[in-house]
Amino acid sequence: MGHLFRSEEMCLTQLYLQSEAAFACVSELGELGLAQFRDLNPNVNAFQRKFVNEVRRCDEMERKLRFLERELKKDNIPVDDDGDVPFAPLPREMIDLEGKFEKLEKDMKEVNSNEETLKRNFLELTELRYILRKTQSFFEEAAMFHEQPEYGHGGDESTQSLLGSEASRGPFTKLGFVTGVILREKMPAFERVLWRACRGNVFLRYVEIEESFKDPHTGDTVNKCVFIIFFQGEQLKNRVKKICEGFHATLYPCPESPQERREIAIGVMTRIEDLQTVLSQTDDHRRLVLSQVARDIRIWLIKVRKIKAIYDTLNLFNVNIAEKCLIAECWCPAADLDKIRMSLRRGTESSGSSVPSILQVMKTEESPPTYNRTNDFTSAFQALIDAFGVASYREVNPSPFTIITFPFLFAVMFGDLGHGLIMFVFGFYLVWNQQKFLRNKSNNEIWEMMLGGRYLILLMGIFSMYTGFLYNECFSRSLNVFGSAWNVSNNPGWDKDYLRNHESLLVDPAKPGVFRGSDLPYPNSTGNPYPYGMDPIWQSASNKITFLNSYKMKGAVIMGLCQMLFGLSLALYNHLYFKNYTSLLCEWVPKVVFLLCVIGYLCFLILYKWAVWNAADSFHAPSLMIGLINMFMFKAPSLKEQTLVFQGHATFQKVLQIVNDSGDDEEILHHNEAIMDSDSDSDSSKQEEEFEMGQFMIIQVIHTIEYCLNCISHTASYLRLWALSLAHAELSEVLWTMVMHSGLAMPGTLGIIGSFIVFWGFSALTVGILLVMEGLSAFLHALRLHWVEFQSKFYSGEGYIFSPFSFDAIIHDKVEE
Amino acid sequence: MGSFDLSEIFYNVDSGYLEGLIRGFKNGILRQEDYRHLTQCDTLEDLKLHLQGTDYGNFLANEPSPLTVSVIDDKLREKLVAEFEYIRNHSYKELGVFLDFIKYSYMIDNIILLITGTLHQRQLSELLTKCHPLGTFDQMETVTIATNTADLYNAILVDSPLAPFFKECISEEDLNEMNIEIIRNTLYKAYLEAFYDWCKEKGGATADVMCEILAFEADRRSIIITINSFGTELTKEDRAKLYPRRGKLYPDGLIELARADDYETVKRIAEYYADYRPLFDGTGNGPGDKTLEDKFFEHEVTLNVNSFMQQFQYGVFYSYVKLKEQECRNVIWIAECIAQRHRAKIESYIPIM
Repeated sequence: MGHLFRSEEMCLTQLYLQSEAAFACVSELGELGLAQFRDLNPNVNAFQRKFVNEVRRCDEMERKLRFLERELKKDNIPVDDDGDVPFAPLPREMIDLEGKFEKLEKDMKEVNSNEETLKRNFLELTELRYILRKTQSFFEEAAMFHEQPEYGHGGDESTQSLLGSEASRGPFTKLGFVTGVILREKMPAFERVLWRACRGNVFLRYVEIEESFKDPHTGDTVNKCVFIIFFQGEQLKNRVKKICEGFHATLYPCPESPQERREIAIGVMTRIEDLQTVLSQTDDHRRLVLSQVARDIRIWLIKVRKIKAIYDTLNLFNVNIAEKCLIAECWCPAADLDKIRMSLRRGTESSGSSVPSILQVMKTEESPPTYNRTNDFTSAFQALIDAFGVASYREVNPSPFTIITFPFLFAVMFGDLGHGLIMFVFGFYLVWNQQKFLRNKSNNEIWEMMLGGRYLILLMGIFSMYTGFLYNECFSRSLNVFGSAWNVSNNPGWDKDYLRNHESLLVDPAKPGVFRGSDLPYPNSTGNPYPYGMDPIWQSASNKITFLNSYKMKGAVIMGLCQMLFGLSLALYNHLYFKNYTSLLCEWVPKVVFLLCVIGYLCFLILYKWAVWNAADSFHAPSLMIGLINMFMFKAPSLKEQTLVFQGHATFQKVLQIVNDSGDDEEILHHNEAIMDSDSDSDSSKQEEEFEMGQFMIIQVIHTIEYCLNCISHTASYLRLWALSLAHAELSEVLWTMVMHSGLAMPGTLGIIGSFIVFWGFSALTVGILLVMEGLSAFLHALRLHWVEFQSKFYSGEGYIFSPFSFDAIIHDKVEE
Repeated sequence: MGSFDLSEIFYNVDSGYLEGLIRGFKNGILRQEDYRHLTQCDTLEDLKLHLQGTDYGNFLANEPSPLTVSVIDDKLREKLVAEFEYIRNHSYKELGVFLDFIKYSYMIDNIILLITGTLHQRQLSELLTKCHPLGTFDQMETVTIATNTADLYNAILVDSPLAPFFKECISEEDLNEMNIEIIRNTLYKAYLEAFYDWCKEKGGATADVMCEILAFEADRRSIIITINSFGTELTKEDRAKLYPRRGKLYPDGLIELARADDYETVKRIAEYYADYRPLFDGTGNGPGDKTLEDKFFEHEVTLNVNSFMQQFQYGVFYSYVKLKEQECRNVIWIAECIAQRHRAKIESYIPIM
């Protein structure tokens, strides 16, 4: 845990890499993932850098691979993933890869274009087949009128179709027609334009094709219609054809006589069959090519990404032309310098360069990046801290303490044995199966988030069970584990009849034998109070909430003081570590004094009151709240106002007030003196000094006032521990009485069924509202208590995170996008 | 501003998301610094590399090398169209109508392009690639069958959304280049007037912003029509009919413009208007001079950028499309200069501040 207390010690190093060995060295460093390179040419455009051509070639390769990947996806061929991660290939292998991809892409494109032509052919033939089939009925209809010209002549004109009447007037053969296929959704517009443009002089019949086709180019499913248009004259024909063209309708020749149509239909059928065999062969070929691709594409993608990452990194380097070497600067952990040296040596050896690469540690004024080594367990907690702000370099990192305090404060607000158990089981399930879950990344962001915080959930579950046990609440019911320490029957005159006839009874702990000290075997023969947590008798008490409120509120203030004091003690560590003794004496000491004199004093009073005042004299117990207010108004505590807690209280409080005030002044003054001291050392001009002085004064005064106010407001803020815990308890109580209780209260057989049904409602609401929603709210409040109340005492969080050049990160980010 | 407009209360409910989106898109518009980098590029590949670092992201990543300007053009346009269609598909009621109005201008351009192309015996397939995808509609490709405007209207456009704009230009004359130009301008006039009136009726901030922009658009058309008509057979009466009557020039300026005979007169008329006076100052065709057209574009950009200063109005949608279009023109201009190794004029793009 030692390394989590402060961030790693970092050093800025300069690398001199021989140009022939640079690639291999960077590749080794990428595998290692411990060096963060700095951009040494920030003013150079992306396309003016040295290795831009190589980067471009990688882009091109990546494009080809993406194309192949898309083809794989189109055919639903799974990509082989054996979890193998290859090393970055040497630059000379790039040409091989390029060639390979080039060839594959060309093959694929050829296969695709062939397939597309074949499919188009196939589509056309299918469409023709439909035309022949569907137009049959149109022609038959027409022929019917054609065969009965006399009938048509003699009959009523208006009852006949347009075609019929025209056919009866002139020879049928004079009517021209075109047949074709059009997209179904274009049909209405097509019909309308046709009618308008030809002024109603054409006759259109259409019928939908039930089968849907696949567009050979885009692969989309489309629905089409067969249509036939009859018209008269050449001019109309041109017009109709133009309109057809405008609507992207495909026209097919269709002979008039049934025999010819049949012949063509037979021909079409045989050609379709031929095409189908050819198509299946092409498909097989395509699958063959793709299956090869599927085997290797993951490896290739990783290789290309690695090469690209290496060249991108090399682009950050300075080129020293005279000495034929590249100069790089990087941040790395001081503890890992040896590892980096080793990698460099390996890189130099593998590239066969004779001149070794040199690593040189540089001195710098710049503040180094913050690097906290985390593991599976600590990473979630570190993430909580980093979300607020990355720690300044080498300052105390709150995350090791957060591991315990966060779940604890959460649990104070979420205290329920049953809910905690469910959460624990869920967390345990995540942790137990983590290997499996981590391997199959899902796209569900919420799931990923919960998986990331699996240890957090586990701990929150455990702590909630603990606090739930203390509050003695399990789904809002109490457990009588040790036996209650209250004895109702010890009251004189309370016999069975009396108890039966009274809805509620006042049990006075001051009466002898009622509370503790009973000799009877039941309920609690020891004569001691309930040994751990809340006595279960409170569950049935009508003043349960009032009693618990006072208890939890005071507890919240005490916990708040502890955490704030702890935060201040971490600040002590910071001051000592950075050798900031002026701040220590003039800032830290007054701060502690103030906190202790106000809130510490309050906590002392709380504890004192708990310890000294008991059931016998509780009727004139002092009010701490009024007492505290009076303290600020310089009123001495008195017995009359019920604010006197103990003898000599007034004197003690006066001493505290004096210490406190002097502490405030001290903080302001001493800090100013300290600044003045350091200012007079520097040889800045007098005027400037004065100006800065004034500014510093103001800032310091504001700072002091802010701190004093914060002490109060932060303490008040800790009361959320009580408020949320109350809300949680009440909500689960309501859920129990309104839902579960109503089911259990049903009589007889109905009760069995009713309870069963109600149980599902109860459990759904428990998980949905109490666990998820309440859990989230408690989580947020715990987070706030850490970020604001705790960390404001010592944490500046002005650092920037160490992001080393690492293949691991590059591959995992991108392969799974 | 005095009137209390209920529709603004519900603006965020109906279109708040889309406005947020459009403002986000607007932040992705290339900045001066990006242009400076772009103009330093030596090849189109460099251009691609730099555009990758902007909001365009990987829009060219799947294009095989070598790149051509037309590919870049297509892709730029594709992106804008995708954004626009997304917004149109999510728009509600009035915003939908507003966005359709934006589309109409592209429809007009497409129709005119197709008719002109057909007159010059071009293939339909070749013409279609040149049509703006924002302006496509079902019946569009059949306009080639029309030989006169009455035909065009009765057979094809009567069902299209452009029908109301077409009323004024129906005649039995055959289509020729002269009256295609007249059709275009008449259509545009009707369109601008309708759009302006719609915005006016909408009221509120939309009217404040859009009427300003559309008035400028109307005046620009009037001025350009006048200047281009010198030396053609267009009569002054016919010319006067083409002026959109919604701009700041209406009515006095348009009456003057109708009488104008040369560039100087136009300039003199424009000088009466504070907004247009600076546009005519310092224009010319010499090297280093900006053309009047560029000046107009610059003014348009300023108006469109200003439209983002107000909230609860539809003007941002219009302005975004126009700004993005200007940006496409800029990028293409730079790309052309790079491709043709003609770097002298590479700086004459119109920056969007």
